Amino acid sequence: METSSRELQAAEYLEKHQIKELVSYLTSALLFFRPEKPKEYLISLLERLRIAKVTGVAFPFFMDNSNIVAMFEMMDSSGRGTISFVQYKEALKTLGLCTEDEDLQDDGHKITLDKFKEEVNKRMKEIWSAF
Amino acid sequence: MDAATAPHRIPPEMPQYGEENHIFELMQNMLEQLLIHQPEDPIPFMIQHLHRDNDNVPRIVILGPPASGKTTIAMWLCKHLNSSLLTLENLILNEFSYTATEARRLYLQRKTVPSALLVQLIQERLAEEDCIKQGWILDGIPETREQALRIQTLGITPRHVIVLSAPDTVLIERNLGKRIDPQTGEIYHTTFDWPPESEIQNRLMVPEDISELETAQKLLEYHRNIVRVIPSYPKILKVISADQPCVDVFYQALTYVQSNHRTNAPFTPRVLLLGPVGSGKSLQAALLAQKYRLVNVCCGQLLKEAVADRTTFGELIQPFFEKEMAVPDSLLMKVLSQRLDQQDCIQKGWVLHGVPRDLDQAHLLNSLGYNPNRVFFLNVPFDSIMERLTLRRIDPVTGERYHLMYKPPPTMEIQARLLQNPKDAEEQVKLKMDLFYRNSADLEQLYGSAITLNGDQDPYTVFEYIESGIINPLPKKIP
Repeated sequence: METSSRELQAAEYLEKHQIKELVSYLTSALLFFRPEKPKEYLISLLERLRIAKVTGVAFPFFMDNSNIVAMFEMMDSSGRGTISFVQYKEALKTLGLCTEDEDLQDDGHKITLDKFKEEVNKRMKEIWSAF
Repeated sequence: MDAATAPHRIPPEMPQYGEENHIFELMQNMLEQLLIHQPEDPIPFMIQHLHRDNDNVPRIVILGPPASGKTTIAMWLCKHLNSSLLTLENLILNEFSYTATEARRLYLQRKTVPSALLVQLIQERLAEEDCIKQGWILDGIPETREQALRIQTLGITPRHVIVLSAPDTVLIERNLGKRIDPQTGEIYHTTFDWPPESEIQNRLMVPEDISELETAQKLLEYHRNIVRVIPSYPKILKVISADQPCVDVFYQALTYVQSNHRTNAPFTPRVLLLGPVGSGKSLQAALLAQKYRLVNVCCGQLLKEAVADRTTFGELIQPFFEKEMAVPDSLLMKVLSQRLDQQDCIQKGWVLHGVPRDLDQAHLLNSLGYNPNRVFFLNVPFDSIMERLTLRRIDPVTGERYHLMYKPPPTMEIQARLLQNPKDAEEQVKLKMDLFYRNSADLEQLYGSAITLNGDQDPYTVFEYIESGIINPLPKKIP
């Protein structure tokens, strides 16, 4: 079926402003925090986003530092302080921060906590800067 | 964390919250508006949309041939729903707009307004506060496909479209009796809708262009155009027959307009079937479980299984069974919780029957967090229940169950050896029914949004009613 030009235009618009990711984030936040008044909560989230975009203040992330550390520790079951490359890639995929076929270089060393944190934060910022 | 291999375990509070607050519909509406207007800056637009909070205001279009009663219905709906009415007349009478003056001039000249101008007028009117806050009803617009398409390109989408229809002869005759009150603009009729007050009667005027010939011409034009307008509104259209008393048409229109359309929201059914013994709860539950792959949770069955499997709960329950006493609520709830907390119940949904028997059990269920999202009461009259239950028999040799009326045994030999379950004796049945009816009033009050069905029909008819009750969104209560 051919997609009409309006449809393509709409798809482009969604891509350009990353609407799908935004809506996905908003819905997840709603379901996770389950506020009494969903509309007010959404308005407050969007306001924070808008201000963050203007002033460059930290974005209201889902996962803050303690979550990233916790995730790392879960993966690093033997407590060595590093995780394998495969685990790292899986973790990024779970968080939705990298795509299936993205080619992450395996530089031979294992991934440490700092590198993991850095990479997660970097990717989150990339996604958020598009809003 | 091997999230790739482990299944997602979503806590049940999330889908419950989503259903109650209609999160899916909320997000869908916001996304629709975003795509229609495609603002450069989506976030302030979304904030504004949320502030407006007008997802559920009425947005209605009423179409129909002349003399079908469109204007009357539109006015009544307006008063009832407190929305703004938009007709050709009151759009061009708007004094504050340049477009309106232009339109008026053209109307006086040629008796019609060009589509582009009309649609522009509509757009202006709909951008005003009262239309945004309280909704709008369009009477008789769009008349042609061109108008319909123009309205669509501007992003104006109605939520309900009502098309009145009646045979042409009826309409021509009806139109001859039309009278208008020049002061209020209300339309009366010499036979069907004669105003009671004599002062209105004296004021009434005969409108021009209601002769048979003119009505027939207008009808031809209407039929030519409406065929091309109807496909523009596929899922939100309803045709109501105008060949019935005005009040009936209005009532049908009102119920339609206040009902929500089916949404694509993810929905796990948690169905509760209530009704006296013999009303068909187990049968319906089995049918539902089979068709929709829900988990059939029968309270009595659960208890019996626990006893038979000799689980820890079973040991506790057995003495009650032996003494033929009712199992205490706390124990019952523990067994139920164990079943309803299992992963397959949470993921697939459940059909519960046999519990709650009274208000206390219902409150306990609620406090444990097992809130059903559809509740059905199956009403069956006493005689039918007696007929259904007291004629049940079982063949002790083959174990086959028969019913002396609905499924009689094939041979006399079998019939001779049939036995009746002592629980199906008349007095027992009467006792159980009384017990149910004593508690049913309380339960009905607790489950305010329950749907009551007539259970005294063949099982597949009842099943269809239950299905439509589950699939369609819950009807909104008329305030």
